[in-house]
Formats: sequence, C-alpha cells, structure tokens
Amino acid sequence: MSKNKELISKIGLRLDGRRADELRRIRCKMGVFAQPDGSAYIEQGLTKVLAAVYGPHQVKNRQKAQHDTCIINTQFSMAVFSTNERKKRPRGDRKSTEMSLHLQQALAAVIETDLYPWSQIDVYVEVLHADGGIYPACVNAATLAIIDAGIPIKEYVCACTATLANNEIPMLDISHQEEVLGGATLTVAALPMSGKIVLMEMSQRFHLDHLPKVLNKALEGCKDIKVILDEAVKNHVAEMGSSTGWANSRT
Amino acid sequence: MFTTKSFIKKNKIGNFLKNVREHYIRDDISCGVPNCTKCKAEASSFLSETHINKCSLYNFNHFVILDTNIILDQMDVLEEPVISNVIILHTVYKEVKNRSLPIYKRLNAILDNPSRHFYVFINDHHQDTFIPEEDSILINDHNDRCIRAATSWYIKHLPANHFVLITDDNKNRQLAIAGQIPACTIAEYVKHLENKSLLEDKLSRKDFHTESKGKEIFPPHLSTAQLLNGIKQGILHQGTFRASKDNFLEGFINVEGFTDPVLVQGRSGLNRAVDGDIVAIEIFKKEQWVSPSEIILEDDGVSEEQIEDVEEKEKVLKNTTVQDSEIKPTGKVVGIIRRKWKQYCGILQGNSDGVYQIFVPANRSIPKVRIETRQADFLKTQKLIVTIDAWPRHSRYPHGHFVRALGRIGSQDTENEVVLLEHDVPHSQFSEEVLSCLPKLPWIITEEDEKRRVDLRDIDICSVDPPGCTDIDDALHCRPIKDGKLEVGVHIADVSHFIRPGTAIDLEAASRATTVYLVGKRIDMVPELLSSNLCSLRGGEERFAFSCVWEMDQNANILKTRFHKSIIRSRRAMTYEEAQITIDDKTQTDSIAESLRNLNMLAKILKRRRRENGALVLASTEVKILMDSETMEPLDVEVKKMYETNSMVEEFMLLANISVAEKILDDFPDCAMLRRHPTPPATNFDPLVKAGRHLGFDIQIDCGKNLAESLDNAVKADNPYLNTMLRMLATRCMLQAVYFPSGTLQKEDFYHYGLAVPLYTHFTSPIRRYADIIVHRLLAVTCAADSTYPDLLDKQKSSELCQNLNYRNRMAQYAGRASVAFNTHLFFKGKLNDEQGYILYVRKNALQILIPKYGLECTMYLVKKGETSIFEYDEETITQKAGDVVFHTFDPVLIRLKLDSSNIQHEKFTVQLVEPHIPGFSVSPLAELQEGMNEEGAKPVNERKRKSEETKKNKKNKK
Amino acid sequence: MPLSEAEKTFILHGVDENFRQDGRDREAYRPMELETGTVQHAFGSAHLRLANTDVLVAVKLEIDAPFPETPHEGKLEFFVDCSANATPDFEGRGGEDLAVELANTLASAYQSRQAFDLRKMCILKGKKCWKLYVDILILECGGNLFDATSLAIKAALHNTQIPKIKAVNIDGDNIEIEVSDSVSDCEKINIENAPVLVTLCKIGQHCIVDPSLSEEQCTVGSMVVAATKNCVSTISLLGSGSLHQDTLFQFLDFGCKIANRLNEALMETLANISVTNENVGFLK
Repeated sequence: MSKNKELISKIGLRLDGRRADELRRIRCKMGVFAQPDGSAYIEQGLTKVLAAVYGPHQVKNRQKAQHDTCIINTQFSMAVFSTNERKKRPRGDRKSTEMSLHLQQALAAVIETDLYPWSQIDVYVEVLHADGGIYPACVNAATLAIIDAGIPIKEYVCACTATLANNEIPMLDISHQEEVLGGATLTVAALPMSGKIVLMEMSQRFHLDHLPKVLNKALEGCKDIKVILDEAVKNHVAEMGSSTGWANSRT
Repeated sequence: MFTTKSFIKKNKIGNFLKNVREHYIRDDISCGVPNCTKCKAEASSFLSETHINKCSLYNFNHFVILDTNIILDQMDVLEEPVISNVIILHTVYKEVKNRSLPIYKRLNAILDNPSRHFYVFINDHHQDTFIPEEDSILINDHNDRCIRAATSWYIKHLPANHFVLITDDNKNRQLAIAGQIPACTIAEYVKHLENKSLLEDKLSRKDFHTESKGKEIFPPHLSTAQLLNGIKQGILHQGTFRASKDNFLEGFINVEGFTDPVLVQGRSGLNRAVDGDIVAIEIFKKEQWVSPSEIILEDDGVSEEQIEDVEEKEKVLKNTTVQDSEIKPTGKVVGIIRRKWKQYCGILQGNSDGVYQIFVPANRSIPKVRIETRQADFLKTQKLIVTIDAWPRHSRYPHGHFVRALGRIGSQDTENEVVLLEHDVPHSQFSEEVLSCLPKLPWIITEEDEKRRVDLRDIDICSVDPPGCTDIDDALHCRPIKDGKLEVGVHIADVSHFIRPGTAIDLEAASRATTVYLVGKRIDMVPELLSSNLCSLRGGEERFAFSCVWEMDQNANILKTRFHKSIIRSRRAMTYEEAQITIDDKTQTDSIAESLRNLNMLAKILKRRRRENGALVLASTEVKILMDSETMEPLDVEVKKMYETNSMVEEFMLLANISVAEKILDDFPDCAMLRRHPTPPATNFDPLVKAGRHLGFDIQIDCGKNLAESLDNAVKADNPYLNTMLRMLATRCMLQAVYFPSGTLQKEDFYHYGLAVPLYTHFTSPIRRYADIIVHRLLAVTCAADSTYPDLLDKQKSSELCQNLNYRNRMAQYAGRASVAFNTHLFFKGKLNDEQGYILYVRKNALQILIPKYGLECTMYLVKKGETSIFEYDEETITQKAGDVVFHTFDPVLIRLKLDSSNIQHEKFTVQLVEPHIPGFSVSPLAELQEGMNEEGAKPVNERKRKSEETKKNKKNKK
Repeated sequence: MPLSEAEKTFILHGVDENFRQDGRDREAYRPMELETGTVQHAFGSAHLRLANTDVLVAVKLEIDAPFPETPHEGKLEFFVDCSANATPDFEGRGGEDLAVELANTLASAYQSRQAFDLRKMCILKGKKCWKLYVDILILECGGNLFDATSLAIKAALHNTQIPKIKAVNIDGDNIEIEVSDSVSDCEKINIENAPVLVTLCKIGQHCIVDPSLSEEQCTVGSMVVAATKNCVSTISLLGSGSLHQDTLFQFLDFGCKIANRLNEALMETLANISVTNENVGFLK
C-alpha cells in the first residue's frame, strides 16, 4: 500500500532532507563510564547506543577457556523504551540473541584474540533509541569501546545499511521510517581499510542485478563511518592526554 | 555540510506514540535562478533568463511563486503555456502531494517540461528559509508563513530580480503585502496578463459562491464533523452516488448493510450529488420508502436560475412513484464526503448568449454545468472538456470552467478523440525517447542471432488473420513426423526481443497495456515500425518468433511440448477466407494446404474435447463497419463473418496459452502472470434463468459444464436465432476475466470459467497486449533464452502492473464499443430502414430489441408521454399484450429504425413497430409507404389516421 | 572488588570523624548531574548521574482499563532493567534480583494517594485510563542506587507531558479516544509530593547518607525511607544487617530531614531547568 511511496523525491532528497549517499549525523563519545574498562556512546541520527567493554579478564566459566585465544562474550540489549512501541523485555528474545551473535562475529574478526589466551572480553551494547540501523550503530559503538579499553585490533570494523530507493537509486544509512516504507535492507559490517566484508545480511530478497551497487554503496558508507570514528578517537586521545598533562595542549 | 533538527510528531497506532523524525537543514540548496552568483548552479533548474512574464499589474519581469491553493484549484490555467518562470516551494509541493495525487501528477508533468521553466525550491531544508514548527500555530498558518518567508528570502537573495506571490488566500495575501512582498490573486494576475488570450475561461470558480444573490434552491450540506459523527453513530450512511442515466432526478447509493442500493429522488434528495461522489445519506423510515419510478426524465433546463421546469418534473416524479411491493430503501443526501469530480466531455447547450453558458455533458449521469467563457460562439461548434469547480446552493447547476476544445462537433477525429479521452486511453504520439529505443533500419539477422535461435526457416509456416491485418502476431505450421505423429507449431512474434525491460519503450507499452481498435483507427501499444513491420510475421519475410511446438498424435493428444526462440519465414499471410478456400479446395495439395487441413482436423477434436469439459460457447454480436477510405464515412455495417478457420486459429492459440501457463507457473510459482475468469455468483444468472424458464427451458447454472449443456439443449425449431439470444444473455451474466500474478491468489482461484481450464494466460498477441510481453519474458527465462530482472519477480510490482493492464483492457474494450456505436449512428444518419429484430427484454413500458444485423440494441417505448398504454404488462410471464398480439422474450419483430438527430449530443434511435401489426401502434412497412403517394403527403395522413384510432381506443378503454 | 579489612577500618574511622573517604561529611551527597527530556521519543524522561551511578528513566503512556477495584484511578508501573554495561554480573538475568527489589520498593513508595494521585490518570471511570510505564535503566552502579533512581523518576515525571484528551466517543463498548496531536498541547503531572528515597547506612555508630560503593560494603545495616513533606510512604531494610528500634526511629527522623532537603533541591533544579531542543545526553 504505502510501498508506492517514494523514498527519494524527484528533487533528489530523502524524506528527512538527506541525499541518497549521505549518512545521518554521527556523534560519538568515548569513555562515557568510569567503571568499565572501555565504553563509548554513539548517535547515528536518532539511533543511540551505549557500549561497554570489560576485560580481558579471567574466563568466568573455566571450562570454556581456550588455550590459544580469548573468548569474546557479547550481549545485545535494548532498553524497553527504545522503540516507539514499548518493548516487553530488554533482551532474551530471538532477535537479541541473533544480534549478540552477529556482533561477536564482527568483533572477532578484528580483535587480536591470540594475544589473550585463557581470557575473556565482555562487550555489552545497550540500545537507547532504535531508529533504524541498530546493528551498525552497535558495531560502531563496540569498536569505539574496544579502542577505549585499549584492546589491540587489526583495524576498525564498521557497519552500515543500504537499500534501493525507487527501485534504482542505492541509498545509504536507512532510517526507521525508510525501513518501513521501503523494500529490502542490506546490512554490511566491513573492515573498511582492507575492504573485507565480515558480515552481510539482508532483510528481504534482493535481485542479483541490484546487489552489487547496493553492496558498494554500503561499503562506501562503512568507509565514511571509519573516517568519522577515526576522527573521534584522535580527538578523544588528545583530550585525555591534555588532561593528564603530557600532551600539554592546555596551559 | 548539514545540521540536524528533529521535530516531533505524534500518530496513533492503536495507542498513542510519540514519533521523532530527523530533519536536515542544508546549505547546498540552490535558488534555481540562472546566473545566481551566490548559489551553486543547479542543473535541474529550468528557470529561464529570457522568458518574460508580462502582467500589467507589475511593470517589471518577475518570477512567480504560487500558494498551494493556486496549484490545487487552477491546474488548468497552469497547464497552459502562458505563465512560466514559476518557483514551486517544497512546502507547497509536499502539501499538494498530500491533498491530491492527480494534481500532484499533473504538476510533475509541468515540472518535467523544460519549456515551462518551473522549478522546485526546497525551502524547508534550506538553512535560511527553514522555519521550525511552533507550538499552537496551525499547520496551515505555518505553511503560509513558510511561503512568505521563502518569497522574502528570494527578494533579498536576488535584489536584481523580482518575485510575485500569487495566492487566493486573503489572509496570506494581506500579510504578504504588509511584508513588502508583491502579491495578488490568480484572477487579478490572469486578467492583467498581456498574452492571456482565453486563459480567463479556465479559471476555476471555486470562490465565486457569493456573486449571485439568487434564492437558495438546495438544502445545505452538513459539516464534515457532523457527517462523520452521524456515520459513526449509525444515523447517516456512506456510499458512492450513482446517478440514474434515464432520470436526472433519481440516483442510487450502495450502502453497506443494505442489499438493495438506496434510492434518492428529487432535487433535495439528490442535493447536488454528482455521479461518483462519495456521499452521506439519511435513510427514511420504512413507511416512506418507494420504488424506483422506471420513467425517463430528461433535464431540459436552459438557465441556472430557472427552476420551474424542475419543480414541474418533480411533481411528475412524485405522481409516478408508487409504494407498491417493489419498494426500495429510500433516503436523501445530506452531505458530500468526497467529490469525485473529473473532467467531462460534452457540448454547449448553446441557446443563450453572453459569458455564462450551459454545458451539456455527453455522459447522461452528469448534470449540466454552468461555465463562464468569452468565446461562446466558437465553443458552440466544438466538443469540449469542462470540469466542475463548485456547486453553490443557489445555483441549479454546478459551476465549472472550460478546459479545452477537442474539435468540431460531429467530425470523425473529434469523436475518436472523445472516445479515447472518455476511456482514458493514452494516445499521444510516441515520444522521442520511446522512438529512440527502436532498432535501426535496415534490420538484419546477425550470426549471433542465428546461433541463439532455432532456425525454422525451412518449415512451411503460414499465418491466418482477418483481412487488412497488419500486426500479425501468430503463425502456424503442422507437418507429419515419424510414426504417424504430427508436429504442430504456434509461432508468436518475438516482441520481447525488441522491447527490453526498463527502457522507455517498455514503460510506455506497460502504461498503454494494449492496442486499442477504433473504427478506422488503431492506437498502437508499440510504435508502428514494430507493430506492422519488424514484429509482424509478414508473409515471405524472415522474422524472430517465440515458438511453442507440440508433438501430437492423430487424436490431438499432446505427447511432447517444447518452447524456444526461433527464426521463421512465413510462406503466406492468409485471411480466414483464403485459408478456408484453401482447405475446401481439394485440388490444392501443396504443403500449406495439407498443413491447414491437418490443423483444421486437430482443431475440431480440440474444440470438441474442450466443450465436453464444459467450456462455454458464448455469443455476442461483433460487427464490422466498412469505411469509405476517402471520406472516412461508414458505408455499411455488417456482422463479422465466421469461418471454420477462425475457430481453427483460436483453438491453437488457446492450446498455446494453456501450455505456456502451465510452464511458467511451474517455474515461477509466485510471479507468473496468469489470466483467470472468476465463476460468476449465482445471482448474476437470474435474468438468464428467468428468460429460460418462460421459454420452457431449464437452464442449469450450478457449474460451467451444466450451463454449457443446457444452453446447447435450448433450441426451438421455429426460432433459430433463439439459441444465439440465450447465449448472448449468458455472456452478459459473466464477470470480466482478469490478469493476476500467481502469488497473490490460491490455486483454486486460478480457474478460467469460460474456457473451463484450471490455468490460462495470454501468450499469443504480444504486439497488441502487454501481458503477453511479460509472459514471453517469463517463458524466455524458463527456456534459458533470457535472464530475469528485478521487477519481473516482484510480486508487488506485478500486482500493480496487472491492475493497470486490467483497467486498460476494460477501457479499450469499452472504447472500441463506443466507437462502433458512434459509427453505427453515423451510418443511420438520414436513413430510414425496416429491420428484423428480436426482443431481448420485455420491460414495463418498453421493449428492448436487438437487431443482429447491426449488433444494435435499442429501446421501443410502448407508451408515449401523456398517453395511456394500449399494452398490458404481465409480470408473471413477463409479456406485453395488446389485443391478440403478445410479446415474449426473444420473439422476432420487424421494426423501423430512424436516427433522431434533434439533439446532437444524444442522438438516439427512434423505433417503430412494423410487424406484428398492432392497429394504432404499428406503422405500415416502408415498402408500402413508398408505393403510396410521395412522401410529403403521406405522413400527415398517416399521423391523422393513427391519432383518430388512438382516441377511439382510449374511449373503449374508458368504458 | 571486595575490600580488605584495613580498608574497611579506614572508612569506619573516617565516618567516625565525620570526614569520609572522599572528603564529605556524613550528611552530604556527592555531586549530581540531571538532564530531562533525554529520551526524545518518550513522553517524559530524565538522565541522572550521581558520581558514578548512572540512571536513565523514561516514561511511556498507554491507554488501558482501570483495575475493577480502583475504577477512578489510572495505572503506574515501574520496570527496572539493570544493564550489563553497569557490571558483568548483570549479564543475562544476573541483575534481576536487584531490579525486582528496586521496582517493588518504588511501587510501594508511590502507592499512597498522598504521594502520587493516580486519579488524575483516569480518563473515563471504570473504562479508560492512562497507564504510565516508568522504565528505569541502570547504566552504571556507583552506590546509592535507590536515591538516584527516585530522584531521576521524579524528574522524569516532572518532564512528562500527557497529551490532552480532545474527545471521548462512546459507542456501546467501543470507546474511542482522541488526543491533541501537538506535542506542546499537553498536561503536566503534579509531582510536588512524589516521594524521594533516602538510603541510610549505619557505619560504626553513625548514620551516613549517599554511601559510595565501598561504603556500602562496610555498613552493618541500612534502610530506605521514602518520604516527602514529613510523610513517610515506605520504609524498608536493605541487605543482611539489623537495626535496633531506637536507631530505627532516629534514622527515620534523619531520613525525613534529608528527604526534604533533597526534594527542595530537586524542585528548585527542575524549576530552573531550561527546555532546549538539543540534548546533551551522553555526549558531555
């Protein structure tokens, strides 16, 4: 019914005023909490996610400990008020479990796990507001939190969504409104520097003819996000440095 | 590059939710004015430096900015290429989209036209013109504020240029003028335009309610809130108003919860409802219910003020309405929920001078419309299009404005135009873009093509079509192969080879959906180069085809089926008649003749088998109009001749369609394009069963097979045409067959009732039907000749496509019939004929008579205005009786046909009975009449004689 | 991290001398930061950070039917979620015990009509009422969770905007409610008397407020008082310790005093809080 609605108007603007290849505004902060070893907060448009990292520490369930690598334990959780309609439970449903697994998959690809045998790293993400692109925001937040925790990684892992607007124009970073109105959404988690894809998921069928351009668009999005995250990390480090005195940027 | 501000909306999905949306404000939006040094250039801006808007209100050239109400109400003015260099603000653009999709589409058409110099300025995302929504300000006021703010911004942004705001909203205009913005109403603006020509005629008259002080002749409508409340509480009912075609003071509304449509009568009962409007009605108490009047009343009012004649007619109506057994729920319209006004075709009544004219729509369900024009004398000679703007209480007729003239009344071209417009048939020339998709001539078959296709050029293939057919899309062959088996091939023009998905030509064809055949004119679905040349399987030429080849035994059982793309060379393009002669002429023994004979033999078996399965043989009269090729006037009307070969070709097309349907459904269970013919509900058959019963036949309608059998058995020796008539009636009971994508329905619903097959599709006419092109593409994928594309597999998209195809097909059918009807009329102009006819229906005051020779159906009234009937209507047996003459359904009659041209808008046949002779009613046969005196003298005598007889009769009746 | 015996003694001595670990006296709270309207799509919300304790509260509204025994009243439900972000111990269902305890205490604190009048939440007697979901998300635990939560809830309720009812259409059993679709056209909730929770800890012979995480480990007994304007709506003892009757009453007086002070400070802050479109949230 409402599927006929155009996601991109004739003039080339999306419903919220973005162009097809523009990300939503990203704002982020590292080190939001004191107690976890690393934490980060990210806003992608209205989607807001908090991530906390604990570890590496001793493996809780001794039997699961690995001699050559560390366990990455992830938990995805959504605040009950994060969606428009109130959720009944914050986690434990199938979707959350799946999200946790996918998050683990993305992080395992970048964390230098072999440096921490017999250990465990906990990564917890908490969605405060879900407005489309939850998984990408979680991955991006987790990346920042892991960097904040000082855990060595191979490179950034970034994620982004893309879809096909009006059946021809690939479109980046899909908001909830666009998700509802549009068709299939492609979610990609990638290592933007090496161009490797860690995870790819689509919500519905894509015609094979469309897939390459949408995938390319999503990868471009991952690269753009990486630039933004990198900037944030550099700012954060500079700020931390100055407060402890060694960067000497403030007098 | 952008900042963000979120604003909050709330909507209701069962519960109350608070929605937050992002809204980005940008700094890269161009003002669109050429050579602006401050903005980045915008390629998509069509605003022009050279165009000059000349309006004497302003002594400078200017750009025009429009308020929403101008676009919504004055689209007819805007579509004229007079006002240009118009800036549409995004605020306005969005509101137009919300308020009216048709207007939005028309606006887009203007925006797409570079020569109109229209531009959309995205003011609501521009950093300088964005205004956040404020609390406690109505959305309307907010939009007006945005419009003014954007106009002010333009004035400041480009001091060298001038901008004028046109708005019909008084408050907005006053505020704008107070804010130093030049502003005026559209009426003022158009009035002072230098090159306005007749633009003023096209102004919508919505806000002219108060101009006349005439007394209010309609009761007021209730307010929207009252209506909605009333409907919610069940006091009022909602439904679509359908005006009666025969009685302008009567209409029906289908209302949920009532099996019968609700009747509304009289001026205040109809209360300004126009056919198609969604109205709210109040239903009277049961004691006040009446039955429909069954009389015919025509509106012969001449001006909008006079209502005496209506009052007169209302009295007549009141007298005729009776509260007998057939009462229907009755009510009155109390308000309009949504107007469904469209553009209407028609002519001016033309009996008055001056600017106010009464427009008479061709569609009799639509009331006359008052328009204002300065070119009345010219328009009186024209067919024109008019749209309704408003219907104030004091006006007898709705007020509208002239949209455009179609051409001289009565000319063939004008009439064709009218038919096409009324049936929404896209018939403009193919655009450059479409034509650029055509292959370049000379077209040659390359080696590459030969590699990918099966070469059937050595097989003797021929085509059989109606005479004069240039778009030949099917050809056949049949040849004996080993073991006494036969190889039968159906070769269909490979249109999908030339029309690739997603190209301009494809989109155009999908929109047109079908070729439309009018008398003497064909509106092609694809350009002529394809339809009559490259795709047409002409005799002796090498063509690409999509072949469906069966191996069959002598009993027409299919042993093997294969599909492939091929190259063929048809040996000969034959007409049905030629093919028939070839078959019948035993001296011809070449391979073509042999294969035709074999095909004919197989077709007979196929047909028999199909009928045994319960396929219906339905009848309708298809006539052919012979045209004089020079004057384009109809020479003769005749019923199309049917040969055995017609049926032969038909059988193989059916077989091919069925085979293809099975194949594509196998491979695409979700998105195969199929055609179904729904089983009609039993009540549809009521007229047929009733008619059968009176004739002593028991028509079984429980299933198609029984229906077919009982139709076969309904034969009477003394009336050979009776069976055909019954079949015609049966045809009218059927529902329309429709296209659908297989994924949208359950398998049981795929059934094709008329053909009695579980699966059916259209494969055999891709030149003239778009559905066939889709089927070709699907089939090409199944035999690995082509690849899919996204829309082909999208259930949603296919479903939308099917809706369009079904709509266009239906319209094309109606358009074709309307064209035939018009030309039949033209043929009868000035002629006086006695014709053999049959009674189709017996009505209370008339007989419906079918003249098979012309496929013409007309009404013979049994009662004249103001006279009492000499006929007695028997409701039990449905007969009319006068003296010893009794009229039954399907009885043959001889009638005299004459075209009454006194009203050029509604030319109609007057029918007089010739035989059987009823004294005082019948006229004497034409032959006798001519034998008598010269015609001048004959009539009055005749007339007088009749009158005296009638008076005698009346006297007798009184006794 | 469990404390050693020496560390505990150090804290104990500090309390004795009214000079706590972080320099506070026994009646002092750590600094707090409060922001309202953090969760844009909720009808009301507040984010409160008390030193390391971080609580996010959002209020959502639904239309519901009142309980048959209280046909005049709306509904109020507290839901606490202890995010694993706070501590890995909360992973999975680890935080549930604490969450339930906190939710129950809050529910009983708000149950009194003097504390919070639910009658205002009734739309149509016995048929329709508002149901307020107060969802509390614990993001970090730095001690004194109860006090922080109660203040955040009060701020969130203060921030809550209930849409104005425009029309109630009754058609047999079918009741349709229409509300104003403008966010600004709303009603506020009166939270003047909504309770403030004060946790009191007995360390050595003294009573302290706003215990830090390490102080909580040294306590011999602690209790929560829910109070406003000298009315106590709930008292509950926390943890495993026990308190003497006299101490208890003494604590109660002390708690009320602190609660009033806290309440005044909060109300003043809320009155001065400016309404901006742009939230800082966690970006500070």
